[in-house]
Amino acid sequence: MTDTQTQPQHAETDDDRSDLISRVRTILGRRTEGRAVALLSVVVVITAIMEPIVFTSYEVTLGRIALIGLVALGLTAVILMGELDLAVASTLAVSGVIMASFESLPLGILAALGTGLLIGVVNAFFVIVIGINSFIATLGMLFFLRGAAFVISGERPVRLTNVDAGIAFGQPLIGPLTPRMLIFIAAFVALHIFLTRVRVGREFYAVGGNREAAHDAGIPVTRRVFTGFMISGFVASLAGVINTLERTAADPTAGSAVLLASFAAAIIGGVLLNGGRGSVFGTLLGASSLGLLQVALTLSGVQVDVQNIVIGSVLLLAVITDPSSLRAAAGSMRALVRSRAGP
Amino acid sequence: MTNDTSTGTVSAPKSAAPEEHLEEQAFKLSEWMANQGIFIFTAALILFAAVFIDGFVSLPNITDVFNRAAPIGIVAAGMTFVVISGNYLDLSVVAQVATAGVVLIAVSNETSIPVAMLVAVVIALAYGLVNGVAVGVFKANAVIVTLSTTFIGLGLLRWATGGSIYFGPNDGAIRAFGATRIGPLPLAMILFVVVTLLLSFVLTRTTFGFMVRSFGSNREATRLSGVSTPWVVIGAFTVTSLAAMLGGFVLAAFSNTAVSAMSDGYDFAALAAIIVGGTSVFGGRGSVLRTLLGVVFVSVLTNIMVLSGLGFGIQQMAIGLLIVLAVSVDALARKATGI
Repeated sequence: MTDTQTQPQHAETDDDRSDLISRVRTILGRRTEGRAVALLSVVVVITAIMEPIVFTSYEVTLGRIALIGLVALGLTAVILMGELDLAVASTLAVSGVIMASFESLPLGILAALGTGLLIGVVNAFFVIVIGINSFIATLGMLFFLRGAAFVISGERPVRLTNVDAGIAFGQPLIGPLTPRMLIFIAAFVALHIFLTRVRVGREFYAVGGNREAAHDAGIPVTRRVFTGFMISGFVASLAGVINTLERTAADPTAGSAVLLASFAAAIIGGVLLNGGRGSVFGTLLGASSLGLLQVALTLSGVQVDVQNIVIGSVLLLAVITDPSSLRAAAGSMRALVRSRAGP
Repeated sequence: MTNDTSTGTVSAPKSAAPEEHLEEQAFKLSEWMANQGIFIFTAALILFAAVFIDGFVSLPNITDVFNRAAPIGIVAAGMTFVVISGNYLDLSVVAQVATAGVVLIAVSNETSIPVAMLVAVVIALAYGLVNGVAVGVFKANAVIVTLSTTFIGLGLLRWATGGSIYFGPNDGAIRAFGATRIGPLPLAMILFVVVTLLLSFVLTRTTFGFMVRSFGSNREATRLSGVSTPWVVIGAFTVTSLAAMLGGFVLAAFSNTAVSAMSDGYDFAALAAIIVGGTSVFGGRGSVLRTLLGVVFVSVLTNIMVLSGLGFGIQQMAIGLLIVLAVSVDALARKATGI
C-alpha cells in the first residue's frame, strides 16, 4: 500500500528526519481524499476567478451540495463494504411519489422512509442471500422501481396535498440554512460518528477490506451488509422526501441526474469501489467540489448537456486515477510491453 | 471468482464431473432452469401469446415484433462478449446506438452514406477503446466506467444536435433498407441473424473468442497463461461498440429518422435478453445463440404487454423483475453446483 519501507539505508543523522517524513507519508498514504482535495482546490480557484458570484450566492451552492451529498452519503456506507447500490436514483423517485400519494403529510413521510428501508432490505437479500452481484441486482431494482414510480404516479408528477408545508420547508430555518442543509449536516455528522466511533460502523471497513477475514473474526457479515443497504435506501428515500417537499410535487423521473453526481462524489472522495477504504469526509469533499462545479457551470450559462459531459468526464477520471487503478494500469502496461517483446 | 474453465455451448448442458454422477443424481431445478429453462419459457410464452392475445398472430404484428427485436438483438449479441468476459455490461450502448443512428442520417444527408458509416465506425472504435482501456488496463469497474461514458456520449450528442430529429430522404437507400422485407422477415431481422451467427462463430471458433470466455472464467489463470488480458477486454468492448453501431443503423433505418433519445432503455433490454438467454452474468459461461433466444423472449414479452395495453411503467417493472429473477436463478444454480 504505502511506500514507507523503501529507504532503509539512510545515514544515522538523517534517521530522525526520514522517520518523520515516513510517518507523514504513512498518514497521508492512508488518506484517500487526495483527489477530492485537488479537485476542490482547482474548482474553487477557477470559480473564484471566473464566477465569484458562486460564493456570494452561497445558499444556492450549499443547496446543490446538500442535494448531491445526501445520496452520496448513503452510498458511501454501501461502497465501503465493496457493494454498489445503483437503485438509489429510483428509490428517491418512488419514495417521493409514495409520499405525495398520501393525504396526510406525516403519514406520507413515514411511508416513504419505510419504503426506502424496505428497498434496502430487498437489495441486500438479493446480494447476500441469493448471491447476485450487487451491480446487477441493484441495476434490476433501478429499472423495476423506476417502473413502479411511473405506475404509482400514473406517469405524471404528483402534487403534494399540503403545499404550504412544502413552501415552509424551503425557507431558511437557522440563519441562511434551509432544513435541507440542516438534514444533510445532521446525516453527515451521524454517519461520520457511526463509521468512525461505533463498532458496527467500523466493522463496515472490515467487511469491505476482506469479507472472509471479517467473517472469521466473528463479524456478522450478512447483518452488516443488510445494515449498509438499509442505510443507503433510507438516505435515498430521505432525499426523495426533501425533494418532494421543496418542489411541492413528486416527479417519477426524478433522480437520474443525481445517480451520476452522487456516485462521482463518493468515488472522487476516495471511497474505494472494492471496499474497505474511504471516508464520509471524503464524500463531503467530493460532493462539495461537484456542487460548486455544477452551480458555477449553471451560472456561466453552460447547458445541462455540457454539464453532463463535464461531470461524466470527472467521474471517468476519478475511477481511473484511483490508486489501485493506477497500479493496475502500470502492471497492464508492463504486461503489454512484455507481450510485444515476446514471441 | 470461479475456477470453472468449461464453457457451456448452445445445447450441451453443464454437467458436473462424471465421477460425481452417482451422488449427484438429485435433480437440481435451479441448475436446469439456468441452462435449459429459456427453451421452455420462450416456447410457452409464444404459445400463450398465440392462444390468449388477440392480434399476436398476424403478419403486421409479427413483422413489428421482428422490426423491434432486430436492433436490440444486434446490440445484445455484441454485448454478450462483454458479459461473458465477466465485465457485467456496457451501459453506454444507449449513447452508442443513438449516436450511430444520428450520424448515419445526419451525415449522409450532408455527404453520402459510406462517409456517414465511416464516421460511425470511427466513433464506435473510440467508444470501444475508451471503455476497454478504462476497464481492461485500469481495471476500473465496468458499470461505473460505462455509466460515465453514457453521460459523456449522450451529452456530446445532445449538445451537437440540440436534441433535434433528423429525417432521411424518402427515396434513399436507408429507407429502402428499413422498408424491405421478405415475407414477414424485414431485412433488419435477417441482418440480426447473420450478425448472431458471425459473432457466435467468433466466440466459439476463434482464438479471440476463446480468450474472452477464458478471461471470463478465470482472469488470473488467463493472464498467467500468457494472454495479454487488456487486449481481450478492449476487444470485447469493441465488438460491443461495433454491434451497437449496427443496431443504431438498423433502428434509424426502421423509421428513417434519428434522435438522441431513440435508444432509451436499450442497455436494460439487451442485458435482460442476454441473461434470460442463460449467459452467466458472472462471466465465462454463455453463447451468442442463447442471446438470440433471449431477444425473442424479451421481444415477445414486450409485445404481449403492448398488445394488452399495459403502460410504460409496467413494462419497465417487468424488465427489471426479469433481470433480477434470471440472475437469481443463475446464482442459485451456481450455489447448487458448488462453484
